[in-house]
Amino acid sequence: MVISASHLSKYYQVSQKEPGMIGSLKSLFSREYETVKAVDDISFEINEGELIGFIGPNGAGKTTTLKCLSGLLYPTNGAVSVISFTPNERKSEFLRRIALVMGQKNQLWWDLPAIDTFLLNKEIYGISDEKYNIILEELSRLLEVEEILKTPVKKLSLGQRMKMELMASLIHSPKVLFLDEPTIGLDVLMQKKLREFIKEYNIRFKATIILTSHYMQDVEQLCKRVIIINFGKIIFDGQLSSLVEKYTPYKKVKVLFREYADPKKIDKLGKIDSYTYPELILSVPNKKANSTASSILKDFEVEDITIEEPQIEDVIARVYTENKK
Amino acid sequence: MLRVIVSKVESMKKYYLIVRNTWDEMLTYRASFIMWRVRNTIQLLTIYFLWLVVLPPGKSLLGYSQPLMLTYILGTSLMDSIVLSSRTYIIGEEINNGNLMNFLLRPVNYFLYWFAKDIGDKAMNVCFSIVELTLIFIILKPPFFIQTSPFYILFFIFSAILSLFIYFFINFLLGLIGFWSPEVWAPRFIFITLLGFFAGSLFPLDILPKTIFEIMKFLPFTYLLYFPLKIYLGQLNFPQILSGLAISFFWVFAIYFLVKIIWQKGLKSYTAYGR
Repeated sequence: MVISASHLSKYYQVSQKEPGMIGSLKSLFSREYETVKAVDDISFEINEGELIGFIGPNGAGKTTTLKCLSGLLYPTNGAVSVISFTPNERKSEFLRRIALVMGQKNQLWWDLPAIDTFLLNKEIYGISDEKYNIILEELSRLLEVEEILKTPVKKLSLGQRMKMELMASLIHSPKVLFLDEPTIGLDVLMQKKLREFIKEYNIRFKATIILTSHYMQDVEQLCKRVIIINFGKIIFDGQLSSLVEKYTPYKKVKVLFREYADPKKIDKLGKIDSYTYPELILSVPNKKANSTASSILKDFEVEDITIEEPQIEDVIARVYTENKK
Repeated sequence: MLRVIVSKVESMKKYYLIVRNTWDEMLTYRASFIMWRVRNTIQLLTIYFLWLVVLPPGKSLLGYSQPLMLTYILGTSLMDSIVLSSRTYIIGEEINNGNLMNFLLRPVNYFLYWFAKDIGDKAMNVCFSIVELTLIFIILKPPFFIQTSPFYILFFIFSAILSLFIYFFINFLLGLIGFWSPEVWAPRFIFITLLGFFAGSLFPLDILPKTIFEIMKFLPFTYLLYFPLKIYLGQLNFPQILSGLAISFFWVFAIYFLVKIIWQKGLKSYTAYGR
């Protein structure tokens, strides 16, 4: 077990201010604080080499959890352990083995080429020249950035910069990697490339990775297991496939009739979502989807029939809203 | 034993690289840096000509002859730009905008990081100062007081280094306010104001009434400018130098420990926001 959190909680004191000038004056003298439970008693365990999708709506506590795991924050309650270290002690041995990459934060020296930051990180992590050259070559080949290593960071595009940020965080080949929305703001092509890279890194370095993202494509293509968090609490922890099973037990069957079909006859097939001739949309339990489709083909004159897998976005949206109640 | 030293030296290499990156960064903004030096030089010359008029040759003011006064005043402005310059004012902002995270996530010492940055900054400024001063000497031939005794020069350098540490730690401390409040500049302005008066950058402190001066002897400010320059001018005897150095040492360590405690406390309440 590489990462474990038991009953982890993190509360923030947030000062409140009434709007306007009077509110500002009032807050000078007496400030009211409200306790925000960013993370509230969560527990989970993650094994070596796992690539976990850590998802939840904005403000659910994802980033706070990652910050606790990487030692930036002291937990209010509970304990975390990462590669058998207590993260907030920030021991050098620990820091050498982890990395936290935030899509919206940068560590590169703005005015200098990225290679200067890499060299500095090389010294910070005490990497030998030999090892550094191998890693640098490998990373820049995987990310296809050989030509822009010597360009000042401020002249790079967002996507190029994100690649450089990732490289700077991986130069010490961390065994545990926390990725906080690494694909944010990138175009589809770049997202795909980055996803492939993350997968490759996971396999090649046997790294344990926790990934947060609002792009369900990321999660769907990378992670077998997902942890869903909302209002600071874990609401789902398990295989992505069983999540889909649990929250959308239905598949949609879309039929295009060649001839008008009697609605009464259709009724028996399953729940009708909509029927405006010639198009029919049915909700059918997952396991019955195939048999229903074949009986439709047998009993009606059909132009076209499709079975739609539930969209992961819809599933997640349902998880979020159901847990609001 | 040797291996320990080797690994220590190896780990210092990262700080050397920070110094070098700081230079590269400064050179990116060449024009700004050069204008900054020009401003410094003009300021230096303004004060120089002012005092040249106030205090004609052969006259003395409050016990300071013209060369001594000129040397003192120009010395303070030189020290101001080299010893009392620190980029650590950015610390407060870094805490508030979340940049501090980058350091907490890596095996790097945040104090040493800033110290290395400051050293890089100072080294660059010293190089330029030497060139500028040489030019001033050649063109204006000012009646400066040149200390020749290695005894005084040595103690001057030593006390200037202590001054550098006191200043560095005070600034670091002021930056740490960022852990609790985004208004890191308010206390800094007070500090700058205090510094202008109590450090002796406008006039030598011993022209003040004796009781006030006696109290100020125990404050850290006195040891930032006044004390090192008095050593340079050779106006302090050995016991005075020793007691001054002792008080400087006390402040270096006192403020250093304060910084350490506040830093630890700050980290505990750090919320790493910025998103």
